[in-house]
Amino acid sequence: MRTAALLLVVLAWPAQAAWEWGAPLTVNSVQGAAIFPHLESANRRGVAVSGDSVGVVWEDNRDGSPQCYLALKPAAAAAFQPEIRLSQADCYEPVLLALDKGRFVAAWEEAGKVHARVLPGGAATQLTEAESVQVTLALRGDALYAAWAETAGRFKRIVVARLELVNDALSVSQVQPIEAAMPSDEQGWPALAVAGDGSVTVAWEDRRHKHTVPLVSHSRDGQAFSAPARLTDHKSGSVDGLGAGTGAMRPTLSAWGAQGIAAVWLDKRDFLSGYDVYAAFDPGTRRFGRNLRVQDSFGDNMAQWHAQIVGGADGRGVALWDDARDGTPDVWLADWDGEAFRDNVAVPAAAGPGAQTDPVATFDAGGNLHVVWLDRDEKTGTRIRYARAAPR
Amino acid sequence: MRVMTMVLAAALFWTGSVLADPPAGYPFVGFDAGLKAARASGKPIFLYFGRYGCAWCDHTNKKTFSDAALKALYSDNYVLVYVDAESGKRLTLPSGERITEAELGVRLQAFATPLFVYMTPQGDKIMQIPGFKTVQDFRDYDRYVRGGHYKQKTLLEFLGGKS
Repeated sequence: MRTAALLLVVLAWPAQAAWEWGAPLTVNSVQGAAIFPHLESANRRGVAVSGDSVGVVWEDNRDGSPQCYLALKPAAAAAFQPEIRLSQADCYEPVLLALDKGRFVAAWEEAGKVHARVLPGGAATQLTEAESVQVTLALRGDALYAAWAETAGRFKRIVVARLELVNDALSVSQVQPIEAAMPSDEQGWPALAVAGDGSVTVAWEDRRHKHTVPLVSHSRDGQAFSAPARLTDHKSGSVDGLGAGTGAMRPTLSAWGAQGIAAVWLDKRDFLSGYDVYAAFDPGTRRFGRNLRVQDSFGDNMAQWHAQIVGGADGRGVALWDDARDGTPDVWLADWDGEAFRDNVAVPAAAGPGAQTDPVATFDAGGNLHVVWLDRDEKTGTRIRYARAAPR
Repeated sequence: MRVMTMVLAAALFWTGSVLADPPAGYPFVGFDAGLKAARASGKPIFLYFGRYGCAWCDHTNKKTFSDAALKALYSDNYVLVYVDAESGKRLTLPSGERITEAELGVRLQAFATPLFVYMTPQGDKIMQIPGFKTVQDFRDYDRYVRGGHYKQKTLLEFLGGKS
């Protein structure tokens, strides 16, 4: 009997390790079968925690066109406040960044240009004149950066801007492409992180090699960027003269540890099992190390989607994504233990019947993990769900 | 004449860059334009879900879609739609939901490319076929779809009944 009880404890260990979850909440106040919320954004920055306030941004079509929304919740409150609309014209892929004392910066694509706004309060500012999409934000101290994909000739290229914040007013103080040369093929989906030493890292999807390859570039001062390098350590090419190589997409970055940067992305190097989640760490050398497969053996033959990495200043890291290994899509996470990613664990409120997808997450200053995801139901509509987890 | 040639060349070049890797010479269009054309024409949709640089897509293009008779069969009888598995380009599903082309792969639970999806003129999925296929395979799928056999039989039942 005692042996059996011990065995049960051991078997249950992965499911209860690491995180203690609070009750889930619904974020969006308007739902319906023909309303489609989306959490997709460059670097998947859809949730942020500033002081005592949790903020979530998303896009949905409740008003007859795609618009971007923000909902806030005091940490102790039992519900989110009614959302506010951020945009006036067609809006996509909003991101949110925490400032201090309950203040945030949101950025989004609206009518083909990138906009940003300080919240609560501030007015929306258009950051770009050229056609620009897929904006993301990162901050360290008072150094606030944005990156986006901007049309340059026939293709889009990655641009990084330093933003100035005076009271609640935002402006662009300097803006520059990662590379001076015009792009030779598409670039997009930038991820941005500022390390503890203030250096800036940008990763993005790049097609110059005639297949999709995540590239990365660093800058010590946010002005001069290094020549792009592959984020992946797997270099594929054509096979018997066919194609150009396997695909890897949607890189995400997070500041990690005292000086480091963590990255995850979707990688099709094993092209028969859909995209897998791969990760790499830069401990502060401004070189990413060997690639690590994040999902465990139970997710091997399953396509993974919507991956994100969240890093902590104390060296913790959590990768999140969704896959359907249990029959329907669920949100999964894997903790980084300093040497490897632990066994995959389903987020309790984001698992089970139905489709739970598209996780976005962040740490707060206390090390709690805040996760937001889509809970899809074709009949009643999609709920945006939120849960907070405290480290055990 | 020279200006027209340059315009046509530029258009072909642009189309190639936007659509990534569809087979050469086929009148592939984007998802939204294809759905609109299918509704107007009543033709079924043949959706090619490919990936930029995909070797098996390239192989299928060279070995199968190079067949002139197959090209005529599919160009005449289908609205041909190409979707890039890793693109952020947006499309609107028949439900009205606007997603990226990459997100369509999530909804199709795509494991590998190429993936071929046959749809009704209204955009309802009839079936999806992954991987390299031969000219004869596509002729069989055409008979199954345009013959309306999918309403009564599974593809396996239909193909089994063939022999």
